[in-house]
Amino acid sequence: MALLIVASMVLTACGTTPAVETVIVEIGGETVVVTATPETPFVPKVLNLNWGAEPPTADPALATDTTSVDLDGQLFMGLTNFNTEGEVIPWLATDWSVSADGLTWTFNMRSNIPWVQYNTATATVDLVYDADGNQRFVNAHDVEYATKRTIDPETGSNYAYVLYIIKNAQAVNEGEEGVTVDDIGVAAIDDFTVEFTIESPAGYFPAIAGMWIAAPVPGWVIDRPDVGVKWTEPGTIVTNGPYVMTEWIHGSELKLAKNPHWPDADTVDIDEIHGVIIVEDSTAFAMYENGELHTADVPQAEIDRVKADPVLSKEFTSVTRACTYFYGMTNNKPPMDDVRVRQAFSMTVDKQSLVDNVTKGGQIPAAFFAAPGIFGRPDDDLGIGLEFDPAAANALLDEYLAEKGITREDLDITLMHNTSEGHANIAAAIQQFWLDNLGVSVNVENQEWGVYLDTIRNVTPLDEMPHIWRLGWCADYPDENNWVYEVFNADAGANRLRRGCVDDVCTEVVLAEFDNITEQAKAEQDPAVRKELYTEAERLLSEVEAAYIPIYYYTFVNVTKLELTRDFSTVGHNHWYWWTLD
Amino acid sequence: MGRYIIRRVIGFIPVLFIVALFTFVLVRAIPGGPFDYAGDKALPPQVVANIEAKYHLDWPTHMQFLSYLLGDDIMGLVFGGVYAETAGDSRGLIRGDLGPSLRYRNQTINEIVAVSFPISIQLGILALIIGLAIGLPMGIIAALRQNTWIDYSATFIAVLGVSIPSMVIGPILIWLVAVMAGWLPAATWGTKPPFILGFLPSNLDWNFWSHAIMPSFALGTGMSGGISRLTRASLLQVVREDYIRTARAKGLRERVVIVTHALKNSLIPVITILGPMFAAVVTGTFIIEQIFGIPGMGKHFVTSIGNRDYPLIMGVTLIYTVLLVIANLFVDIAYAWLDPRIRYD
Repeated sequence: MALLIVASMVLTACGTTPAVETVIVEIGGETVVVTATPETPFVPKVLNLNWGAEPPTADPALATDTTSVDLDGQLFMGLTNFNTEGEVIPWLATDWSVSADGLTWTFNMRSNIPWVQYNTATATVDLVYDADGNQRFVNAHDVEYATKRTIDPETGSNYAYVLYIIKNAQAVNEGEEGVTVDDIGVAAIDDFTVEFTIESPAGYFPAIAGMWIAAPVPGWVIDRPDVGVKWTEPGTIVTNGPYVMTEWIHGSELKLAKNPHWPDADTVDIDEIHGVIIVEDSTAFAMYENGELHTADVPQAEIDRVKADPVLSKEFTSVTRACTYFYGMTNNKPPMDDVRVRQAFSMTVDKQSLVDNVTKGGQIPAAFFAAPGIFGRPDDDLGIGLEFDPAAANALLDEYLAEKGITREDLDITLMHNTSEGHANIAAAIQQFWLDNLGVSVNVENQEWGVYLDTIRNVTPLDEMPHIWRLGWCADYPDENNWVYEVFNADAGANRLRRGCVDDVCTEVVLAEFDNITEQAKAEQDPAVRKELYTEAERLLSEVEAAYIPIYYYTFVNVTKLELTRDFSTVGHNHWYWWTLD
Repeated sequence: MGRYIIRRVIGFIPVLFIVALFTFVLVRAIPGGPFDYAGDKALPPQVVANIEAKYHLDWPTHMQFLSYLLGDDIMGLVFGGVYAETAGDSRGLIRGDLGPSLRYRNQTINEIVAVSFPISIQLGILALIIGLAIGLPMGIIAALRQNTWIDYSATFIAVLGVSIPSMVIGPILIWLVAVMAGWLPAATWGTKPPFILGFLPSNLDWNFWSHAIMPSFALGTGMSGGISRLTRASLLQVVREDYIRTARAKGLRERVVIVTHALKNSLIPVITILGPMFAAVVTGTFIIEQIFGIPGMGKHFVTSIGNRDYPLIMGVTLIYTVLLVIANLFVDIAYAWLDPRIRYD
């Protein structure tokens, strides 16, 4: 006897009412429909987590921080997404292709992603219709609108510059005469095909096209004069991702619920996400220990206890992030203007000891800039980067001092970091390394974050610049271009290191081999060649120029209850729609 | 008394204006702007300029101040030109508009205050009640039993209360009561908007109290120490006054002497510190809010400076100023009631 049972569940968005289960039983060709009240009422699977901070915005065009990006990642689908390994995968786009000259990218999109709106009165997720009564699906025009909106200077998007690779984007964003938003290189070819024209070939473009700043947003809501900046509030916001926003009490809590109309909703295991907004790590950790959260960051002071605790140690994980902690050196400020001095300082930082005894979160000592998982990053076994070698370092420094006719006591070097206990501990350790291994005593100073970032720009007068200063860098998109080129290229990058500066404040720069190679690699289309170029660039910067000191790659230091199965996103947003809860 | 109050209230206006002006100028004097960076990244100057233009930060400072004070429509009427083009963005402080937040770009300062200030008021008032309920009796008993073991114990407890900061009491409470015993939730607040009358909790159930107990206690005990020491010292001084001797000489019972004559008068110094103390606790306490994850207004006093969120710094500073001057007015009115010798008209 052939027996086929098809069960379907109709869920309300917030899941407070019991599900109605309809069972269609097909027996020997006859179909019997049985609707039964389930024995147990539907209990939604609720994930309790901590946002860590009030998301500054839910507007994808304005988001820059991890909290807002995490939120937008659940609400809006980008053309592409990253898998757990940080590789680009299709998301809103099904596939894409690039023209022979590498300048035109065409993305074919899914046609079945509906726009939805959460109804706060009925607690349901509603489909959205236009004025003619047609259901709205996410289309190529939405992508075009969102991209142009981010670049439009009127929007005031902080991250607009990441889209400067798109044709005319920089000109429009910088308000150049003669170009308008209509000249930006993005166009809907038909309803579900979108085409980008870019300034120069860029193999990493699919990663950029999938970023939140280019994710489709509901233009017809945003442009309503009565809505304005309030379009991101629950009940008003129209979204298309796996989750919808159901409640946002600013500064206190933000809740999401599964979007039942999302075509892949079956694959989403967690029905509701209850996120509290707790800034203090140790408080969130106490809530975790009290069973109020499923996952939490581990405060540095608790790491030893967690590792020793029989229960917590099983819930503890430390996963590498695509972020690098480094010390920049002001390359045109004596004595840092001499490569031997920079190499000597770089070779006397005992990074292994630092991560074992100070940071303790399983961080990986960094030999060069790009963190694991970044495309184009040199292979670790090539041994790129300067090794810890006090003997060689002292020889280099002695040579420099002899040449200048000065002693170690004459060196007056300032190390600066932004005010924070963690950075202060690291600076104190490194200060000690230099004293022990190099015999040089450096002064450690700190400044409040906003003041600090103002200080370490490359337009600050040289005598106000510290010789050495800390910074971190995290991937916007997982490609070396976002690392060595955008940070260190003397011409196009931020060049805080003041490499190749003709005068004190870098009004003009002389390009070195590193700058040419990273420029070349940006436009190169062959991935294998690009990787070779970046490998060489990393070698030049960390060994030959020793322009900065890579310290370590960051880790997520986390505890997660055993019933939660999760991944860690090295780039982009957290994939809560892929997590499961038993 | 009525005329006195009116005079005082009119006097608030120049005070508020000067506070607004000073704050406005000072916050803009701090190096670094609100849009210079995203995380660890510095933003390109043109991107920063675009955003600053959106919030009129490219205007001369005095024009920004006038716009903040009067609103863009009046600016447009008076100055015309570029100031007329953006009319309608700001309604001005004079009409109660505290402006847009530069950090939370989809929220206004009025909205941020409307959700966070009520929670600080609730916590502040509970803490103040605890502070008074512990501090006053402890101070009185210590004074009446001067130099006995009761006095020494009360002094010891008060010194502990003053000297152990809330950043120590808070985590210890969380660890003992929440994590170890599991009696109370570790953090967050137990009520949420909408609030009754705009600031009172809408639910006074166990959910509210279970979240309120630990932070109110941590905040209140700190205050009780100061209140207790001051009450004791003041009462000791008053009981040596001539009119107390007179009261005793008249043959009044000791209870009447203390309660009716001594205590009322000795409260003057206590009331004096209660004014500023009230303004400080109901506008929120950064450390307690941080430790207990309470979404109050106290954190904005600190974080808005780091974020260079100029309108938010202005907003919370002005609210604090208003509360402080009002609290001090009430203190002055209370003097007249406590001490018949004080008259205002």
